[in-house]
Amino acid sequence: MPYLSEIQHRKVIEPNGTEIGTLKDLAVVPVGQFPAIQWAILATGDGERIIKWSDMAQEIGHLRMRTRSDGMVDATLPPEALRLSRDLLDKQIVDTHGAKVVRVNDLQLSDVDGQMRLVGADVGLRGLLRRIGAENLAEKIFGLAGRKLPRGIIPWHLVEPLDAASGAHVRVAVPRSKLALLHPADIADIVEEMAADERRAVFEQLDVETAAEALSEIEPEMQAAIVSDLDQERAADILEEMAPDEAADLLQDLSEERREELVELMEKDEAQDVEELLTYDEDSAGGIMTTDLISIPAEFTTQQAIERLRELQPDPQLTYYLYVVDGQGRLDGVISLRDLVVAKPDAKLSEVMDPHVLKVDAMTPKEDVAALIAKYDLLALPVVDARRKLLGTVTVDDVVEIMMPRGWKKRSLRSIAR
Amino acid sequence: MTGVRTSVRRQADRRRTAILAFLAVMGPGIITGFAGNDAGGVTTYTAVGAHYGYSMLWLLVLSTIGLMVIQEMCARMGAVTGKGLSDLIRERFGVGWTAIAMLALLIANGSNIAAEYAGIAASLELLGVERIVSVPLAGVVIWSLVVFFSYRVVERVLLVLVLAYVAYPISAFIVRPDWASVGRGLAIPTIPTEQAALIAALALVGTTITPYMQFYIQASTVDKGIGREQYRFARIDVLFGAFLTGLNAFFMIIVAGAVLFPAGIHVDSAADAAGALLPLAGPSAQLLFAMGLFGASLLAATVMPLSTSYAICEAFGWESGISKNFRDAPVFMGLFTLLLILGALVVLIPGIPLVPLILVSQNVNGLLLPIVLIFVLKLANDKAVMGEYRNGAFAKVVGTGAALMAGALSIALVVVTVFG
Repeated sequence: MPYLSEIQHRKVIEPNGTEIGTLKDLAVVPVGQFPAIQWAILATGDGERIIKWSDMAQEIGHLRMRTRSDGMVDATLPPEALRLSRDLLDKQIVDTHGAKVVRVNDLQLSDVDGQMRLVGADVGLRGLLRRIGAENLAEKIFGLAGRKLPRGIIPWHLVEPLDAASGAHVRVAVPRSKLALLHPADIADIVEEMAADERRAVFEQLDVETAAEALSEIEPEMQAAIVSDLDQERAADILEEMAPDEAADLLQDLSEERREELVELMEKDEAQDVEELLTYDEDSAGGIMTTDLISIPAEFTTQQAIERLRELQPDPQLTYYLYVVDGQGRLDGVISLRDLVVAKPDAKLSEVMDPHVLKVDAMTPKEDVAALIAKYDLLALPVVDARRKLLGTVTVDDVVEIMMPRGWKKRSLRSIAR
Repeated sequence: MTGVRTSVRRQADRRRTAILAFLAVMGPGIITGFAGNDAGGVTTYTAVGAHYGYSMLWLLVLSTIGLMVIQEMCARMGAVTGKGLSDLIRERFGVGWTAIAMLALLIANGSNIAAEYAGIAASLELLGVERIVSVPLAGVVIWSLVVFFSYRVVERVLLVLVLAYVAYPISAFIVRPDWASVGRGLAIPTIPTEQAALIAALALVGTTITPYMQFYIQASTVDKGIGREQYRFARIDVLFGAFLTGLNAFFMIIVAGAVLFPAGIHVDSAADAAGALLPLAGPSAQLLFAMGLFGASLLAATVMPLSTSYAICEAFGWESGISKNFRDAPVFMGLFTLLLILGALVVLIPGIPLVPLILVSQNVNGLLLPIVLIFVLKLANDKAVMGEYRNGAFAKVVGTGAALMAGALSIALVVVTVFG
């Protein structure tokens, strides 16, 4: 199986043996599992020439034209064509299997049914050594040590070109559909390795829900950069889909102008939640709380309360605690899902709830909130205003970072030291 | 009424936004500038001032202009492409050239790391700590800082120590240098052709425009997420940071030139170099000098092994990240550890003189600088990479001039060393 680096720069000769030039590049149209090589780009004395691959024959050490090239009219590359050396070699791709970003060291070609096809991207050490002509030497050295030089080839059907946003500079990545199959945290890791333009491309193409989850997992500084780059409508859609507290945190990092514009574009309900959260200090309970919670009027029976839950179909982390409120929305008590289910169906919530509910004021510093949650082993802690009106809750995952020992988030290191 | 108020508020907000935008992107350039005053910088500038007076100031001016233009280029490349310098070299020039560029970077930074350890050892020796104790200890401390602490905290603490260098601009006015001869040194380019002078000159250029800084500024720009729109703010920061580096160096050379040069003191040790601060600090001169040198050296010794490993792993597509372990990122962790250990071992060679070691390391930087600059220039001139943001005529001329200057000095030094 030949590699691109092995046939690149080979001499190209006429049927009678006179030299035309050298092979500069190969081009494919990237469709199908293993795209066929369709064109050869030659470097000749008078610049580039594009020749159909089928007009050439591979011989030992060189390529020979099947017919004389003088009278031949050059082919033209369609706009969707990819040039292997210019557009793929040395560029980064996403390895979906390992969920990491790697670099294309070489491209593997193979003769399939008499047709030369692109079958894989070599991202391993072997490809790197081959490019500097040291593959055989390294293989011998590894052989002496009784080991084999590892191969690192990603089959081509797991790799597809990303639309070229900036013309000549195509970078490859897995198609959106494949990227979307990854866990949002993995997508976040991959996206953090990408250049700004590609990041934008990814976030334009992911479905809104995945985009929102992935964005939540990205470092704050980069979050702001991504949202600033995105089309406003798109950014607003993604923000709506995020948890209100995370959306508010993100908006906090943007310029005031941009923030106002985005909030204006968001759906009314979500925008209201976010705006409310934005009024609190970032480091207070109000700043880290979410307004997503379940509150049920105290005069409801347990039966009615369960019916309300069926209607709402809340996310699992919202059902840890159900908050019981009075007519003015003031927090009266709390009831767990378990207690709700085992209580008699006609019991009033005010009778079965626990009235001794631990709560914090919206101005409480977030460290104190974290300390309370840790001390009482809570999954969530309600946040109220001065009149005991229920504003939101701080869930344990909102404070995990505060509770972690210092230096746990080593990521920040990368940002300065590389 | 409310309409008017809102519009006034909007205007004020907008102005505030502009200031905030500047503060948010401020940093990489100024920090890079500060980091430029590491062990190599302080030692070289002091030695140049002590041995040649003000006569090489003109070279510092040229180097500073070169530094400003080249740092601006790299930051611009980071903002426009969103990629690091080693990324771009790899994507544009392929594996072979990348290997050459990375080898140059590895050697330059390796020698820098040794110099930083030498700076740590020299500063602590002033305070009576033997290097056999201080150097291994520093290695362990750096390891732990990197692995257990947030880098930003470390950076801030060490930057405070580096503030000890404010002593130089103050001293520069206390020691009343002969400003007329300072002016002559700035305006009239002269250079002796003996080997020692060429070594000093190349070290001066190599320590002012280090290969390392170009990779670092571009990576920081990318990591801060500075894009095309915010670049105009980042640009001010970068130019100012580079200017600050030059200004600091200017004062160091003047103080050394006014205090050490007339006394005919040859700088062979940190104690000699600290002597430049005697007029200002008297008996505390050594403490002051040691503080600055220690802070700057430790800071640079922390950043450099990491930065080198990131750049190299990025170029070759190897897994990198400090939170990874040896199994996940063997090359990255291996390289990082190896650089730390080798740097320390060099300084622990029995009887190795610290100050000459530092000066030689800056020569290595100077010798390798043209290689890195050629890559930077080719990339920043390239329309396919930079589009409308590619270098203008001014940047091209000054950048090429800096590369030629470093190249000419390197060749002159090699020629004089071999034949002379």
